[in-house]
Amino acid sequence: MKILVPFKRVPDPGSSSPYGMSEARPWIINPFDEIAIEEALRIRERGEAREVVGVTIAPSAAEEQIRAALAMGLDRALRVDDRRELDPYAVARILLAVVRQEKPDLVLMGKQAVDDDANQVGQMLAGLLNWPQATFVSKIEFLNGGQRAQCTRETDRGLEVIAVNLPAVVTTDLRLNEPRYVSLPGLMKARRRPIELLTCQQLAVEVQPRTTVAATSPAPRRSAGLKVESVEDLLVRLRQHEKVL
Amino acid sequence: MDFTWSKEQTELLDAVQRFASQRLKANVIESDRNDCFNLEDWKACGQFGIQGLPAPVEYGGLGMDALTTVGALERLGYACKDNGLLFSINAHLWTVVMPLITAGTEQQKRKYLPGLCNGTLIGANAMSEPNSGSDAFSLSTTAQKAGAKYVLNGSKTFVTNGPVGDLFAVYATVDKSKGAHGVSGFLVERNTPGLVIARKLEKMGLRTSPMAELYLEDCEVPAENLLGTEGGGSFLFTRSMTWERGCILASAVGSMQRLLETCVRYANTRKQFGQPIGKFQHVAGKIVDMKLRLETCRLLLYRGAWLRTQGKSGFLEASLAKLHISDCWVKTCEDALQIHGGYGYMVEYEIERELRDALGSRLYSGTSEIQRNLIASLLGL
Repeated sequence: MKILVPFKRVPDPGSSSPYGMSEARPWIINPFDEIAIEEALRIRERGEAREVVGVTIAPSAAEEQIRAALAMGLDRALRVDDRRELDPYAVARILLAVVRQEKPDLVLMGKQAVDDDANQVGQMLAGLLNWPQATFVSKIEFLNGGQRAQCTRETDRGLEVIAVNLPAVVTTDLRLNEPRYVSLPGLMKARRRPIELLTCQQLAVEVQPRTTVAATSPAPRRSAGLKVESVEDLLVRLRQHEKVL
Repeated sequence: MDFTWSKEQTELLDAVQRFASQRLKANVIESDRNDCFNLEDWKACGQFGIQGLPAPVEYGGLGMDALTTVGALERLGYACKDNGLLFSINAHLWTVVMPLITAGTEQQKRKYLPGLCNGTLIGANAMSEPNSGSDAFSLSTTAQKAGAKYVLNGSKTFVTNGPVGDLFAVYATVDKSKGAHGVSGFLVERNTPGLVIARKLEKMGLRTSPMAELYLEDCEVPAENLLGTEGGGSFLFTRSMTWERGCILASAVGSMQRLLETCVRYANTRKQFGQPIGKFQHVAGKIVDMKLRLETCRLLLYRGAWLRTQGKSGFLEASLAKLHISDCWVKTCEDALQIHGGYGYMVEYEIERELRDALGSRLYSGTSEIQRNLIASLLGL
């Protein structure tokens, strides 16, 4: 089995001004994609996959995140050189071209990226490929010698177990695994590994963003609440002042 | 003169800082209160590669030069407040790993270095004795050759990592009449009969770094565990002390950077008499002094390490760095405490602990007075 893991670099949501970092704004691999990389590596390590290939669509500055993914254990890493702010449909169409070139049996990726939280690329890619999809997956097992994947999905109603025929697109949820931490020797070795470069032109795919971002603004600040002395006090407030009871 | 880190070094240093802030999770206030060594964090550091930074790749290390290594330790000190853990790592690196690299036999290196580098083995240093501290080579622990073994007898104190150590670098004399030329180093495994950890010592600071007294009672060590040559212990110890003095306070420089940032933040947000306290010259002046100390310490640290990457011993520079950084670290902690006023004196602000931790640095690896003696003699005095 060959697994393709698309991943995205995102601004580190947990960072405050870090000391002496090379970039003003630190980037990380989207945590859900990191879970997908980890799962692909575990599948390979237990002998159910022979190759794990990672792909990201990003400018050359993403090299550090690609190296981190290589250091985790990817067999190969591809970068589609594109510095535009692409919308999910454009990303799905580029990935479609990559899938046609790489011919994986499984596309494993994060359910969403934590920067724009779109949660669309996996679904769109499955639609474009006309492949089955299993989204928000917290457990994967292979059946019939790797011809089917049994996936446990986390839904609002509880856990749903579905089986999909391969090839398929599977998107990962938070509880699938805890990604390994890349060691310094791993990082140093990954520095010497090649990153394969692709362009939309080579892939013969032309994408134009279909959505434009009209404006972004920080979430409104909540004003401070009110402290009450007792439950009685609270009830009086809710009944007489707020009139919600 | 080029002060920039290469792209590769920058990536490595950033990775170290990220690792320390993301993975070292111990509650240091609690560990300090309970005298608790954070073994899980030790192991995490080992798996990540910290304990192998300066060790050759073929023995499981990273093969980093001295400059990159101190840069990494500086970042560790910035992002990790567990000074005790960092002290334990430093003791392990400079008194066990480094002597093994420079003087160990091929067999010794193969046997111990991979475990010492990946965090599964903890190294401890047994040099000081109840009656020999600064005058280290007057030690009285003896090593008697008996066939294919040495029999060690004596007692040791201030053994960093003693309570948790797996491999002890023990110094003993094969012939007291030879003075320093009789001192020899031995690698003693924890389970060796006759090696007795007598007592855990309680300290003012660095409480998360365990320390012990131990004694050796007819402790039989195989002759192949002689580290370096018989009588070569003083040379070995001096060389490892040069490494230690030059590198052990790299994390203190990181700590000083962190304290500086903490104080700037506090002085900008804490208001008294209607304005941020940073606008008061007494406060601002202290912060400027903190910055000045930080920068001078960093230069001494880097220059000493750079000399070692050039194949020079850097003996004088190591002493200068040790003397200056230890003093500056203490003063910076005092200033940080004073700037925070009453809050700085409170445990939860984690500044009083930093001060207690810093005070030890004027004592270990040769007291400030010993450093001055060494420097004075090198100046021809």
